[in-house]
Amino acid sequence: MTSTTSILATRRGTVRKARPRSGDSFGRSLLRATWLIVVVLVAWWFLSANSTNFFIPSLEQILTTLGRDLANGVIVAGAIYSLTNLFVGLLIAAALGIILGLLLGELGWLRRIVDPIIHFFRSVPQAALVPMIIGVFGMGQGPKMGTIAFACMWPILLNTIDGVLGVEPTIRKFSKVYRIPRSLHFRKVVLPAALPQIVAGIRVALPIGITVMVVSEMFASIEGLGFYILNSSATFKVPETWAGALLVGVIGYVISLLFVLAERRLLRWYHASGSQ
Amino acid sequence: MTMQLQADAQPEAGTQLMKVRGMSMSYGFGASENKILEDLNLDVASGEFISIVGPSGVGKTTLLRCLSGLLRPKAGTIEVSGTVISGPHPDLAVVFQDYSRSLMPWMTTRDNVAFPLQGKGMGKVERNRVADENLAAVGLEGQGDKFPWEMSGGMQQRVAIARALAYNAKVLLMDEPFASVDAQTRFDLEDLVIKLKQELGVTILLVTHDIDEALYLADKVVVIAEKPATVVDEIITGFGEDRDQLATKADPRFADARARIMHRLRKD
Repeated sequence: MTSTTSILATRRGTVRKARPRSGDSFGRSLLRATWLIVVVLVAWWFLSANSTNFFIPSLEQILTTLGRDLANGVIVAGAIYSLTNLFVGLLIAAALGIILGLLLGELGWLRRIVDPIIHFFRSVPQAALVPMIIGVFGMGQGPKMGTIAFACMWPILLNTIDGVLGVEPTIRKFSKVYRIPRSLHFRKVVLPAALPQIVAGIRVALPIGITVMVVSEMFASIEGLGFYILNSSATFKVPETWAGALLVGVIGYVISLLFVLAERRLLRWYHASGSQ
Repeated sequence: MTMQLQADAQPEAGTQLMKVRGMSMSYGFGASENKILEDLNLDVASGEFISIVGPSGVGKTTLLRCLSGLLRPKAGTIEVSGTVISGPHPDLAVVFQDYSRSLMPWMTTRDNVAFPLQGKGMGKVERNRVADENLAAVGLEGQGDKFPWEMSGGMQQRVAIARALAYNAKVLLMDEPFASVDAQTRFDLEDLVIKLKQELGVTILLVTHDIDEALYLADKVVVIAEKPATVVDEIITGFGEDRDQLATKADPRFADARARIMHRLRKD
């Protein structure tokens, strides 16, 4: 998780600096973002090649297993199931987090009432709640999505509140003096002003969602990547366990990359105006 | 109290747009009460350009916030177009000091200018047309698709002025609008405001700490000073329509009025 975010951070940095010379610097920034991954993979490959430890199979063995299970569809079906849960959960989390965050950010009195509750719930370890939630709501896909949504909502909610509180006071004065109607003020002033913070909140929520996605499939489940990992681990199919974990990591990385690309489009004004 | 500098240059007798009577403002209560403004009176007639000049920290920003309806005075009344206001009024538009912060970086300049019109319920085609017209009026023809952060400070302040004009208010309140641009840009913007006043007949109330700017622009200069602040002098400038950065400022009457205001501000 930490390595993913640091890679993203350097990518953002290089892209901003490298804008004038796009040709060779794209290759360079790609190299800068990927060289360590390549080094780690190569080191892993050779260091694990002659492993005799049952719990540390060689990378070759892990990749062969991964290739086999991807080809025969065992993992693909699980991945589709898991990713569906993740996206629906994130969508619910974003919708709830943004709407509640805008409300709480604008309404000081409401925020002061709700504040302790928010900080209580966000401090609760989300993964620990999974067995309880599934125990109460059952084994279906719904409770899993709900659990992901619940865990992902907090960083989005808190960041949205922060973003709303950080809206430039002069722009608020402008909105008042020019008598901008409330709904328009929310949609066209507060929401865009808070958007950089909201997006940052969603970026924090992504890895949380992936973790909870996997954990939620480890309890009373017969589908998904989490089930694949737990099941293979419980039956001592160690290469499968590693393959599943590796795949989750790769999926997380790819989602983060896609997210950064989407963010750069959405927040073009923010990066270009240098207001960060 | 009013000094007549030139008999034939009376401000045109327009209808009264703003009437401030006995306005006082303070922060805090009881022993810690901090009085900012006391018993301020002000009249603004249609077509007038009034400068309010005072030293830094005298309470000019508080005064403008009260006049724009953002703050409620502790005592006294503000009448706009004949009714006492209790908040922002559609006949008032404000040009803020901080142009870079009052424009929205996520909107093009056209959208920035058109946005308050959307708030008034004007359709998209119509409000874009009005926005483009007003951008042209401030010398930014064809720049509607640019974003504010692609523009210089002076151009951004022009956008803010266009936004205030497009809102079609009767009185433009300007809060030290040229305080954070360089000298040459400042002269350009001052001349732009004079041109807009003459061509469009807008009524302007400008707050500044700069005596030269106050005199150069206004028909009437209102001097505020003391603590709590109150009106200590009013001067009819009488420079007429044709103003020139060099000639007007070299006018002996300009020097006289300048000396008088400086004397006022020093004594108090």
